[in-house]
Amino acid sequence: MLSIKDLRLSFKDNEILKGIDLEVNKGDVVTLIGPSGTGKTTLLRCINYLEKPAKGNIILDDLNIDYEKITKKEILALRRKTAMVFQQYNLFKNKTVIENVMEPQMIVQRKSRKEAYETSVEQLDKVGLIDKLESYPSQLSGGQQQRVSIARALALKPEVVLFDEPTSALDPELVGEVLKVIENVVSTGMTIVLVTHEMSFAQKISTKIVFMDKGNIVEEGSSKSIFEDSTNARTKEFLNHFNTNKLNVTKEEVYA
Amino acid sequence: MDVAYMIEIFPKLIMTLPITLLIIVVSAIFGLLLSIGVTYLRLKKLIIIGPILETYVSFMRSTPILIQLFLVFYGLPVLMNSLGFNAGDFGAITSSIIALIIFNGAYLSEILRPAYLSVERGQHEAADSLGYKPIEKFRKVIFPQLAPIALPGLGNAIIYLVHDTSLVFTLGVVDIMGQAKLMLANTYGENKIEMYLAIAIMYWLVCLSSDRIIKLLEHFTYLKRIKRKSKVKKTKVYKESVSIQ
Repeated sequence: MLSIKDLRLSFKDNEILKGIDLEVNKGDVVTLIGPSGTGKTTLLRCINYLEKPAKGNIILDDLNIDYEKITKKEILALRRKTAMVFQQYNLFKNKTVIENVMEPQMIVQRKSRKEAYETSVEQLDKVGLIDKLESYPSQLSGGQQQRVSIARALALKPEVVLFDEPTSALDPELVGEVLKVIENVVSTGMTIVLVTHEMSFAQKISTKIVFMDKGNIVEEGSSKSIFEDSTNARTKEFLNHFNTNKLNVTKEEVYA
Repeated sequence: MDVAYMIEIFPKLIMTLPITLLIIVVSAIFGLLLSIGVTYLRLKKLIIIGPILETYVSFMRSTPILIQLFLVFYGLPVLMNSLGFNAGDFGAITSSIIALIIFNGAYLSEILRPAYLSVERGQHEAADSLGYKPIEKFRKVIFPQLAPIALPGLGNAIIYLVHDTSLVFTLGVVDIMGQAKLMLANTYGENKIEMYLAIAIMYWLVCLSSDRIIKLLEHFTYLKRIKRKSKVKKTKVYKESVSIQ
């Protein structure tokens, strides 16, 4: 349903994405993992054109877009079929929770106030924030804000939801509530592309793991084939790093 | 101090108030419009127009308004002639207004630009990613966040504008200050203090009323928030209808 071919992007002389091919089927949960600065987030942002790729092709549903010749209309169409959940939540600061979820529906989908309200209440109920409708984002915790932003994305009924490190800006004790909400979204059969450093979570929910390094896709496959059965040296090194971090660092090493 | 004299001259000074107000209002409106255009183009960082506008803003902000008034008054007709328009003299009032518009186009742009830039990148990206058109993004997301930041600065700019109009008498405009100068000449410089105190009070009153207008605007943006809160009642009705279903 979502298919990216030979996606290339550079910042000045620095090549960030070196020809990415990615296939996402309907109902897939695709997780992009890899070291920082590898281009995972950049790739995700290319899907709804927050980054402008130099070259490449994207097919999404009935859209078939050549990034080199993309028109304003196509950009809008692409963005309206996708929805992004940002690391920093990016709720509209001047609007309440309910307005944050309602307004995009009224503006982008021309829904009536009543319709938008009903969808919004439904979505906010699912993320457990029905009692915060009239709060402003500044009055909410990071975890609550991120849940609102997930509700805002889902209220638009997108074809694909893009999660850009949704828990990376959160206090450790708030990570759980957001992951739980994402898990619920997964259970509805929504198509998802996710960038995360929560490896055990990725392993649990993903139908497909994509391991990226230095602007390339090194290896992709099912959760099991990457996390347990991978024979690729680079993949193993990266995943090992996660294990050693968690298990083998002693107090003495930390304070050395 | 001769208070009776001050009361006596007040009506004569007030007669010239419309000229001062005309200059203020026209320069404020068109200056703001110009500054919006200038800010829009500056933010686009265009290759040729960009540096030209930066130079314009830097020049207007760094040179005394008095010199700008003279430059426009004497220079503009010459410039128009050399371009082939036989425009003749513009007259003191028109020249003053043109100079103040050109000045405020630059000056206000330096209030609007940082106000625009203070709206975080993430707010733009959120609206973009949701599929807002640029105009919808500006109207619904950016402008409401930019306005409260820009308003106090714009309020100050209006006060400066009021003060700047006290210089247009140097071109021969008979505004409040011009009238005061004329009357002083007629009385051979008697009662100087009363005269200047009287016009100081008049400028004060003009600034007070413009200040009130700005406060009203600030209050309006605040009121909108209150109104939104009152919408809660409406939304509660919806809530009931949802729960019934």
